[in-house]
Amino acid sequence: MNTAAANPAHLVAATGISKSYSQVQALAPLDLTIHAGELVALAGPSGSGKTTLLYILGGVVQPDEGEIVIDGRPLRRMRPGKDLAALVGLVHQNYDLVPQLPVIQNVLAGMLGQWGLLRSAISLLWPRDRQRAEKVLAELGLADKVLERTSHLSGGEQQRVAIARLMVQSPRIVLADEPVSSLDPVLSEEILRLLTGIADSPGRTLVASLHSPNLIRRYFTRVIGLREGVLQFDMPSSGLTDDVLAQLYELNHRGELDRPGTGEAAAEVS
Amino acid sequence: MASLIALEPGRRPLKFLENRHLLTLLLVGALVWSLAVVDWRGPLVHSGGGAAASDFLQALFPPELSTDFLRLCLVASWQTVSYAVAAITVAVAIGFPLGVIASGTAYTQGNLRVPAIVRLCLAGMRSIHELVWAVLFVSAVGLSPLAAILAIALPYGGILGRIYADLINDVPDPPLQALRASGASPMRVLLYGRLPMALPELVSYTFYRFECAIRAAAIMSFVGIRGLGYEIQLSLNDLLFSQVWTLMLFMVALVMVVDMWSSRLRRSLVS
Ligand SMILES: Nc1ncnc2c1ncn2[C@@H]1O[C@H](COP(=O)(O)OP(=O)(O)O)[C@@H](O)[C@H]1O
Ligand SMILES: [Mg+2]
Repeated sequence: MNTAAANPAHLVAATGISKSYSQVQALAPLDLTIHAGELVALAGPSGSGKTTLLYILGGVVQPDEGEIVIDGRPLRRMRPGKDLAALVGLVHQNYDLVPQLPVIQNVLAGMLGQWGLLRSAISLLWPRDRQRAEKVLAELGLADKVLERTSHLSGGEQQRVAIARLMVQSPRIVLADEPVSSLDPVLSEEILRLLTGIADSPGRTLVASLHSPNLIRRYFTRVIGLREGVLQFDMPSSGLTDDVLAQLYELNHRGELDRPGTGEAAAEVS
Repeated sequence: MASLIALEPGRRPLKFLENRHLLTLLLVGALVWSLAVVDWRGPLVHSGGGAAASDFLQALFPPELSTDFLRLCLVASWQTVSYAVAAITVAVAIGFPLGVIASGTAYTQGNLRVPAIVRLCLAGMRSIHELVWAVLFVSAVGLSPLAAILAIALPYGGILGRIYADLINDVPDPPLQALRASGASPMRVLLYGRLPMALPELVSYTFYRFECAIRAAAIMSFVGIRGLGYEIQLSLNDLLFSQVWTLMLFMVALVMVVDMWSSRLRRSLVS
């Protein structure tokens, strides 16, 4: 496994990462490698550890154990801020924008890793790189909301503002936590098109948690199933059947789940 | 809020002070003691007090409303408000930077000593009443407007700094996490997250303090500044109670205007 971590062909190489919160094991020790160009879907019922895994990959939450190597460099040793922001970006489940700021400021916050302090401060009054933010917002259909107060926007619009921030930040690894869970089907597809679009250029990747088998098959190349913090399967999304996913979400399972391709992960837990 | 004495998160000396029952016990004890020291057998109010009070009340019908006197009241109100504005401006200039430092959010965590020391300074500034500061400043620079302004600004700066620090700390965390994930340093998280989110509360508390500063500026007449307090003192000396009433009504009106202004402003910041 450690040889895998050192392999530069892997954009993300995680070895033995785990996380517990007091009594709860949010994530059992897990190995995961992701190549550039892969589009990875995370599936699993609520509380299965999807958010925890994304936060660990994003450097927002420290794992209890294990190591993550991103683009050949250990995440642990990367300075938060500039370095990390160029590599990894995260869209949160609840958007987590600053409600009091105008939309454009929430978008330009994606530049804070690159801007100096003075520039950041001045931009609060006279927005810098305005065209860039406006262009991205126009692409997302928010051209008329540039100066609107963010709290006035609907959930779907805020979702797109969060994505606009990420597009401005333009990281190589895009992590999205349930980006479509609160959106209607049409908007869901729109958002997934945008997210996969960010990850489309060479050397990039997308990891997103979502629940719909159709969307997973259509927009992703690989799917990882989690349940109670334990890896259940990891396979090409083309092989994902509705049955497999239904079993992952089934109540009161334990043991009887037929897990394709889980051998090593299951062995690690026991 | 982290207590003042908690210099390091792990080590908490004087932890017993966090016990809520202890505080209740102390407060109840203080109340009982204060009731016990009152001499209940003697008359509680001065014997002539009743007559004086009725004189005073009767003067309200009507208060002094001559144009000359109203003009004087307007000028006095203006003076009081200008002193209050000057004092609150200096208080914000002191309280805001110190409050930001005391909140401990401006720099990467690590050295918690500087915020703790600033917190102590703020506590020192506000633990002394503005009248006591006034006495100190008068003995230093003499009877002057400057003495009065500084006497208000110092304790108010201490109060504002303390409240600002709390408000800056108590904003929701998820948006801050998201900013950090976009590469924002603590200072930038402060600028783009903490301050915008805390702004309505910061403004409305400052306005509340401005109301208090008007009150305080009025009683600073005894260090020689003009204004409503000064006029009240003069009218009282001449036992012109109807004038006193007019002046007090102006005082109330001032505070009400500020209150209305601040709730308007706050509403526009929140929505
Ligand atoms: N900050 C936290 N404190 C305590 N428990 C947490 C925290 N974050 C997550 N957990 C717990 O870890 C488990 C996994 O949570 P999470 O990663 O959010 O799952 P998911 O995103 O799949 O719903 C859950 O049982 C959750 O209650
Ligand atoms: Mg989640």
